[in-house]
Amino acid sequence: MTSDPGSPPAVPERVDIDALLAEVRARVRRKRERGIYSADVDAMLRAELPGGARLLADDVKDPIAALAQALDEGVVYDPTSHKRFVGAFITLGRRVTIGLIRWWVAAILDRQDRIDRLLASAYDVEGRLAPRFGERLERLEREFERRREHEVASNMHSGYFQARFGGTEPVIREQAERFLDLYRGRTRVLDIASGRGVFLELMRDNSIGAYGVDLDQRMVATARERGFEAFESDAVAHLRSLPASSIDGAFARHIAEHILPGDAVEMLRELRRVLQPGSPVVFITPNVSTLTVGAHTFWMDPSHLRPIPPDLFQFWLELEGFVDVSTVTFEPSTEHLSEDVSDPVVRENVRLLNRTLFGDRDYAVIGHQPSA
Amino acid sequence: MTTAGRRVRAVHQFHPILSAGDAMSDHIFALRSRFRSWGYESDAFCVEAKGEVAAETRPYRELFRGTTPDDLLVLHFSMGHEVYDQLAKLRARKALVFHNITPPQFFIGVNSHAAAYARLGHRQLKALAPKIDMAIGVSEFDRRALVEAGYANTATVPILIDWSRLDVEPAEDVRGLLHGIKTKLLFVGRISPNKRQDDLIRMLAYYRRCIDPDAILILVGSHRDQPEYYSRLKALAESLGLTGAVRFTGTVTNAELVAYYREASCFVSLSEHEGFGVPLLEAMYLGTPVVAFDAAAVGETVDRAGVLLPRKDLAEAAEACALVNEDLGWRQRLVDAGHERVKAFDPDTVAARTREALGL
Repeated sequence: MTSDPGSPPAVPERVDIDALLAEVRARVRRKRERGIYSADVDAMLRAELPGGARLLADDVKDPIAALAQALDEGVVYDPTSHKRFVGAFITLGRRVTIGLIRWWVAAILDRQDRIDRLLASAYDVEGRLAPRFGERLERLEREFERRREHEVASNMHSGYFQARFGGTEPVIREQAERFLDLYRGRTRVLDIASGRGVFLELMRDNSIGAYGVDLDQRMVATARERGFEAFESDAVAHLRSLPASSIDGAFARHIAEHILPGDAVEMLRELRRVLQPGSPVVFITPNVSTLTVGAHTFWMDPSHLRPIPPDLFQFWLELEGFVDVSTVTFEPSTEHLSEDVSDPVVRENVRLLNRTLFGDRDYAVIGHQPSA
Repeated sequence: MTTAGRRVRAVHQFHPILSAGDAMSDHIFALRSRFRSWGYESDAFCVEAKGEVAAETRPYRELFRGTTPDDLLVLHFSMGHEVYDQLAKLRARKALVFHNITPPQFFIGVNSHAAAYARLGHRQLKALAPKIDMAIGVSEFDRRALVEAGYANTATVPILIDWSRLDVEPAEDVRGLLHGIKTKLLFVGRISPNKRQDDLIRMLAYYRRCIDPDAILILVGSHRDQPEYYSRLKALAESLGLTGAVRFTGTVTNAELVAYYREASCFVSLSEHEGFGVPLLEAMYLGTPVVAFDAAAVGETVDRAGVLLPRKDLAEAAEACALVNEDLGWRQRLVDAGHERVKAFDPDTVAARTREALGL
């Protein structure tokens, strides 16, 4: 049933309420502009109801303030009966009853009041009856989020950064080609942080089945435009969504240095779960044991969280149960100290310096899922 | 005229309080006349009768003696009361007419007693659901609340309004009192925090500063049940310099009520909770344009026959009143639409639908 009893005939000339309201708003606007609807009129419209508690104070949005108010509220009861004839007797009866139990009720109320106040002050952390937990939590979350953003300078335009410091496609492809043989004949290789799809292209050119995930929606779109299978997803979240033994290889170039060590370990554990026996994993990351990398170029990218020394990364893989774990370095530095020195001791020292300062700029740690 | 195969003998109605000049009590008495005219024994029972209706009512205790399984008991519900629990045990068939419950948060800080009864009402409404054969909401808004409270068999039938009550000569003294005042903003309804008379007073402050410095606000309605809110309203008017401009009439006679409606520049409601809103329709019936904030059942009762304000902006509310006062084109269209709207609440139609819904 509807609220329209008997379906009344349509109103002869329907009143265009929207037009009327538009005119009303125009009037208000004009009066504001001319200063007639001034700040003191505004103040009148916001005037509180005098003489007691704010109306509608028990708003669920502000329960702490309402609680403070309720604690200080008196309880008023008027025993007067307005009934004709018997009213006076009822009133008298009520007064007598109230008089008799007054001290008993007062004692109970006093104890309850004490409990209420103790409870309220037990939550009162800052000397006021408003710990405002939710507010503080939100502030903390906001500040934490801000810290995370500032830590990796997410407010910087990453496009410019990529253009100036990011690797070019031929370089990336050349790096990946080094590991091509590991993936030959495989059907479902995952490229973690697949970017524009350079690795995926290499896989396709060699008839290897592969797909990618990337956090950057624009990168995923570009990869898809080029005909690759790519998804916008966080790597660990994606791995968690996969069934066990559902992929047969993984490749992750320049991702480990962007995440916290705990996240890296979690990624390794998930990979152990989803990789088929014998499948390879390759992680490429800056070789921070070369000091010009570890002390300088590594920090060119503000989104790098922390450097991972090669022996540590290898240890993580071994610890998580990968087998045949090895490390290779590549991308030699362009600058070197001259080793053309006649004194053999000095020459050895220069070589050591060259290895330490101007060694290879990237390394890869390679591991395998144990055979069944 | 049978229900569940048995002939209904009597149709009795109950509400804890019945009082003169109250829309729900009027509704109950109007229904009683209809029930009687259809050949049923019918009375109005209550716990407390206020004012001159006392002679028209019977005490609720008599229901425990005389009621038989062949009777239909119509429980009107707008507040919690301990008596409902007792009446629910009666063996009669039971129907519930829901007029909605003013949410307790409106009373906090001004009337903790009313807040407690409102909370009790919500609990009781749910508890009664399995014992009620048929539940009627007086608006779709109320019917939805019934469904939410667990009622299976529901219908919407509006309040039965006895329009003849308003077909009287307007009281001369009221007309004299308002003579020469250009802007008379009117609201009719109990003084109660949910009706937000405080917002009407603030709105008047705007009206006098930005539109007409001589405008007045007439608040018709009893303030007996809300003494604290009433005294604080007066303090608010005083603090805004509006003491003489806000006129509280208290309870009025029919002739006075008609005079206020007829003299008013417009009827304005900023109420935030109405289960139906009879005065909105009374204003339309008497040719007063309606400006109302769209809350609870107000929108469906007005149904585009008045200016429905989609948001609570007091400056806009005042300007809307001014527009319908000044622009005779708008005013006439609203008055016409109001007259048309009122036809939808023709008593015979509403009575027939009540009868159908109750299965009589």
